[in-house]
Amino acid sequence: MADTPEAIKKSVKTYLFVGGILFLGTIITVLVATVPALDIGRHGFDAMDCILGLAIATFKASLVAYIFMHLNHEKKAVYWLFGSGLVMVCSLAFLTALAIFDPIYDVFFYSGK
Amino acid sequence: MEIPYLVTPRKDTGLFNSKIAIWLFLASEVMLFGGFFSAYVFLRLGADYPWPERTLPVLPGLINTFVLIGSSVTVVFAWASLKLRNWRNFQIYMGITVFCAVVFMVFKGIEYNVKFHHQAVRLKDYTVIEGHLGYEKEGEQYVLDHKGNRVEENLIFIEASKLTFNTVRFHKPWVDELLGQAEHRKAKIVLAEDVSAVTEEGKAPTVIAKAGELFSNDLLGRIQKEHLAARSHNGQERTDALRAEWVKAKADNPGKKGWQIASTVNIDAAALAPKLLTEISTVSFNVEPATKFEFKPRDIKEADGQSRLRDDTVVDGKLLASPMVFHHVDAIDFQHLAMKAEAKGLDPMQAIENSWLIQNSPFAKAAWTWHKGEVAKLEKKLLDGYGLGDDKKPRRVPTHKEMYRIGWKDLGAKAESEGGVKLSWMDKTKEEFLGPNYDARGEATFPGFSVPREQVGFAAKFTPAWNTYYALYFTMTGLHGLHVIGGALVLAYYLFFGRKMYLENPEWLANRVEIGGLFWHFVDLVWIFVFPIFYLM
Repeated sequence: MADTPEAIKKSVKTYLFVGGILFLGTIITVLVATVPALDIGRHGFDAMDCILGLAIATFKASLVAYIFMHLNHEKKAVYWLFGSGLVMVCSLAFLTALAIFDPIYDVFFYSGK
Repeated sequence: MEIPYLVTPRKDTGLFNSKIAIWLFLASEVMLFGGFFSAYVFLRLGADYPWPERTLPVLPGLINTFVLIGSSVTVVFAWASLKLRNWRNFQIYMGITVFCAVVFMVFKGIEYNVKFHHQAVRLKDYTVIEGHLGYEKEGEQYVLDHKGNRVEENLIFIEASKLTFNTVRFHKPWVDELLGQAEHRKAKIVLAEDVSAVTEEGKAPTVIAKAGELFSNDLLGRIQKEHLAARSHNGQERTDALRAEWVKAKADNPGKKGWQIASTVNIDAAALAPKLLTEISTVSFNVEPATKFEFKPRDIKEADGQSRLRDDTVVDGKLLASPMVFHHVDAIDFQHLAMKAEAKGLDPMQAIENSWLIQNSPFAKAAWTWHKGEVAKLEKKLLDGYGLGDDKKPRRVPTHKEMYRIGWKDLGAKAESEGGVKLSWMDKTKEEFLGPNYDARGEATFPGFSVPREQVGFAAKFTPAWNTYYALYFTMTGLHGLHVIGGALVLAYYLFFGRKMYLENPEWLANRVEIGGLFWHFVDLVWIFVFPIFYLM
């Protein structure tokens, strides 16, 4: 971690730069969502917009975690803690997604046809 | 006693203790919000109604995103200032961070307030009307209820002649409310007939309450007490009788399993009857004379003749006209109707033309006609701009929402195109935050409309009750808002009470600010996903 005064002064510039990228990423997301000429994929909201919007959001979130939260130079214990949280979330999302196979949506399930 | 590892790191983890603690906490927070995002995906994919895409005002959401990103930068600057032992700069940056939190919550409060005062009703044919309900007036004066409050024009009115209460479930505040309304209208509620019951085993029935006794919570409480005592006594008697029967059956059928003799085990009801006390599950009161009572729609299932409150109170009486009166309609949404029509294989346009609203509201009919023209223009524009695909179909077509929803901006544009009020850009910007400006745009843009009660399928403000989208929106943004408030309080504590610690051990304060900052960044990180998912998708 940047602990010496010199290193901290240097990282201040990085923080500003990252802040700028976060603003820019937000503006791009909003423009793509609201200006028809910049809309990708079909007209209106569709899978392409979803992928792009979430990709930009993930990139922004990664920058916040990596630079602002100092995950770029943390101790191993932090990676284990935060990583385990992420793994649990992904598992949860996966298990939730399995609901698509839930037979309750199958109209023939109860009739046995 | 000195607490170890507040400033210096532990050898095993390489971290000071509070840092381990905050990362553990953040890991649990990731799972909490991750769970909600999973719920969002699940509910959106399984929604049986048109999901409200891009329905929230983007501008306030965008400003709030900028505010949070800005505060993330300033909080890390505040930490860096402490590391460089610059107290003045720390104060400035932390001050800005806390100010940003306040701005964020103010915008959020405005956004919530608009939702809480915006009404929606889904008609029985799935047409949705949105707008603002009015208050009852007589001439220029507002009608006041017995509490002195204005009466919103979304109440169920019943000329009640009889009230029957469930003696276990009756809801005391509603009893008080009924009493208040009766008193306000100078009516009396009295017990319809004597309530008599066997209250002691083997004795004759005694009168617990006499016919004509005035209705009150105390009276209901008295009857309830007798009822519960009788129910408890009778339950015990039945259990004892059944137990005795089982003992006898086991003795008569040695070696047999319980399931083999179960059908022969029966309580002798005639023998038991004299031992039982009287249970008084309901009690009826007459309203003298029959009087108009008002009920909130969410509290009652209304019907002409007999209606039922959620606490099982039965209201006998004539259902009076109880329309929902919109003083301003600001959106007409046929998306759900079109979805239902498509599911049945019907032409959605024809279904809309035949809808109750189009048949009964000249304004809605005119708006729909105008809207169809606008959709045709958009279709042409998209065709001109993007042409036909390989399948000879237009590459881009209007969305479901563009085709079937007439929003407040559309109604504003319609009125402007017809020579109506044109707002300045300043007023239009204000509308982005506060919703449609009825006063400025007037009746011509947002006219009033009365929806007969029998046409109302479901009605709610834009609260979690309206649909799963708003339920999740309020849950997630509300939880996030609580995090903003909590984080801001901690950071404000360092700002206003951190000086002493700074002078004693500046590194300790720097570590604390780093911990608070980590939480603050996480709050920003969550919003980075909340904003596009709820406001843009």
